[in-house]
Amino acid sequence: MLTGFFSRKNTPASQSIGDAEYTVLDTELTGLDLKKDSIVSIGAVRMQGARIDIGASFYRLINPANGMDLTSVLIHGITPSEVEQKPSIDDVLDELSVFCGSSVVVGHFVSLDINFINKELKRTGRKNMKNAAVDTCKIYEWIKSNEGSFSRHYSARRDALDLFSLAREYNISFDEGHNALSDAFITAQLFQRFLSSLPGSGVKSIRDLLKIGKA
Amino acid sequence: MTVKEVKDFLSNIQPFQELDNATLGNIAGAVIVEFYPKDTLILQQDGPPSDFLRIIKKGGVKVFIKPDVNEEVVIDYRSEGDTFGLLSLIRGDKSRANVKAVEDTVCYLVTKESIQGLLDSNASFSEYFLKSFLNKYIDKTFSEMHSKSLLYGGGDKLLFTTPVGELASRTAVTAPNEISIKDAAEVMSKRKISSLVLVDQDNLPAGIVTDRDLRDKVVSKGLNVGEPISSIMSVPLMTTEARDYCFEALLKMIRYNIHHLLVVDEGKLRGILTNHDLMMLQGTSPISVVRDIETRQNIEDLVPVSKKINRIVHLLLKEGAKAGNITRIISEINDRLVRKILEIAERKFGKPPVNYCFIVFGSEGRKEQTFKTDQDNAIIYEDPKTAGDGKKAEEYFKGFCNFVKEALVACGFPNCPAGYMASNPKWRQPLKIWKDYFSTWIHTPTPDSLLFSLIFFDFRPVQGDIKLAEKLRSYLNKTLKNQNVFFARMAGAIMNNRPPLGFFKSFIVEKSGEHKDEFNLKFRGIGPIVDIARLFALERGLSETSTLERLHELKDKHPIVMELGEEIEQAFEFISLLRIHHQIELMEKSLAPENFINPNNLSGLEKKSLKESFQLILNIQEAITELYRPGMVNQ
Repeated sequence: MLTGFFSRKNTPASQSIGDAEYTVLDTELTGLDLKKDSIVSIGAVRMQGARIDIGASFYRLINPANGMDLTSVLIHGITPSEVEQKPSIDDVLDELSVFCGSSVVVGHFVSLDINFINKELKRTGRKNMKNAAVDTCKIYEWIKSNEGSFSRHYSARRDALDLFSLAREYNISFDEGHNALSDAFITAQLFQRFLSSLPGSGVKSIRDLLKIGKA
Repeated sequence: MTVKEVKDFLSNIQPFQELDNATLGNIAGAVIVEFYPKDTLILQQDGPPSDFLRIIKKGGVKVFIKPDVNEEVVIDYRSEGDTFGLLSLIRGDKSRANVKAVEDTVCYLVTKESIQGLLDSNASFSEYFLKSFLNKYIDKTFSEMHSKSLLYGGGDKLLFTTPVGELASRTAVTAPNEISIKDAAEVMSKRKISSLVLVDQDNLPAGIVTDRDLRDKVVSKGLNVGEPISSIMSVPLMTTEARDYCFEALLKMIRYNIHHLLVVDEGKLRGILTNHDLMMLQGTSPISVVRDIETRQNIEDLVPVSKKINRIVHLLLKEGAKAGNITRIISEINDRLVRKILEIAERKFGKPPVNYCFIVFGSEGRKEQTFKTDQDNAIIYEDPKTAGDGKKAEEYFKGFCNFVKEALVACGFPNCPAGYMASNPKWRQPLKIWKDYFSTWIHTPTPDSLLFSLIFFDFRPVQGDIKLAEKLRSYLNKTLKNQNVFFARMAGAIMNNRPPLGFFKSFIVEKSGEHKDEFNLKFRGIGPIVDIARLFALERGLSETSTLERLHELKDKHPIVMELGEEIEQAFEFISLLRIHHQIELMEKSLAPENFINPNNLSGLEKKSLKESFQLILNIQEAITELYRPGMVNQ
């Protein structure tokens, strides 16, 4: 029987967002087509409430089941030869599930990452991820809409919602360059900013958080 | 990679940059990142101890204490690369200050265990942290100055680094104090010693007899050598601790004009220290100058001796003396010179009709003179009983003070351009008039009265009836009580002289003129600290006049000094030493010793230390503004 997000109890909905455990997650994919493409790498950072624990990080390159699309090589800089020697997705997902435990999963457009993870889980006959998951992009949109009347227009501006634009807006420094772990780290810092301001807007428990940002 | 990012950051900041790669990697891997929106109170005074050392990755914090509900004293502003929370982390009791984010701030948190491990295993790391940060910079700067200056010769036995115990190797010869003078002299001659310690029945030291005693008290007076030695021995015995540095012993010898000190170690007589020992230690000695002064009987003979005083500054610097110690010794010597001149004057003009006290003020009053500076002196005399007595006193002191002024000029102390000298009739007055002066200055807010206060309130007695000066001091303290308006004006004067540090932590220099690219270190660096110490000391009714003594006394009396006293002292020492060095350099080039320096000529560490010192002054000035603002507005 596997441990981790397949079997453990979820974070209670009543828990305060400042005390909950989070796993901030990012994946690099060979492409965006759920049918054709697959995961190349997974990066994750643990957070204890608003504290990012640098030491508790997770980064694995994966030998994709399907061949790599050369265009995606240009995006994340991982070449086919680099991943050839790497463990298969099955092993990595086991490790990831242990790493995530029962924490709340956080990510930027995290539904995409979860969909790919679930696809792989399903392929090997396992159940979907059970962890509660929130999307930093949705939280951002909610914060903006909550800030004032102007923000209704904000949701239309899709182009400004990518991780790096938000990082810039919140004055988070980062190196350009896609890497699942460094992106997860940027996302974690973004989420950290949100956690500090959300209680002031009435978002206090995991239940509240899921209400505004469920992936 | 994220760990790498943290590691790169840490590898650029003290004291982590001292760590080896693997250790740094371990630390970086265990770091926790926290974010504090602007105005978050991160640590709270008297709150739970911090569990982490926090390193500011981005943003800035304000460290402050709240001595009272409505009072806030800013201790420091810290920014990127600075740390906080260490003290309470190590002591584990409580947070000593409040720390608040002044902008959105990201901190790296290093756990208590990691820090503890580093402190235990890494000497340079613990050295860095266990001393205060500023302290460390200054120590480093001292040694940097030493290594680059030609002034610092070699020499292993140094006045400031040698404990008395190491030098006083000779054991003290003792004899019972009932023996006769003759027997004592025999012991001394047999053992070839210049001093003999007399002990009582319990074998405890009771007195000392030296060659000089035998000469002055026995031979020249024709005393019967059958008399008990106790009749001529010197009491009380002056002692020095074996662990004291030699310069402390030297100061004692100068102060009491003695040449022997008993060296005591844990209450036991360990040996004897003579001025000869000290002279052997250093070749020429400040005490030899003092002895020279003592033997001179007229002004003409004093002049060449006084010239030697400047040389002593060189000598002391060469030995690595701290600025505060140099000025203390110079002040002692100058005092003796002044006393000698007054002694000669009294002989010339006859006994004064009333008791008087010769006081000095300004830097001389604060014992902060280096090279000879303008005269700043005055005379307080006893209130005359009749108008006739008053007339007589006026007549007497007129000639007396003019003589003293000319004598001081001859010995290298120039006239005070503003005429703050006893030769000016305004500044030789009976006690009653002095009290009137002080009271008027305190109660009448004019620019002149404030200026006079700043100069004269640093007065201290040098010669004569010390009680007169003491009475004036206690009158001053009594009159100053609760004079908040006066103190606010004094605080206002402090605000007007800020150290030359710009908003972006760069030095502010003169834009043009003779001192282009320079600033006045005495006026803009030392002056503010002197002013701050004076303000606090007068406000708390202290009698000390020297800045370091004032700060020392204030440590348990004033919240700002309580928190920052040590750092202020160090800043003061550092800037003073920089100034003395600068002046010595100029004098070696036969230039006049002035106070302008070009910060570009300083080393990196000197610059950093100077900036730290200036920043400290600015922070205190800001705290003072807060404390006195209501009064300052009324001006």
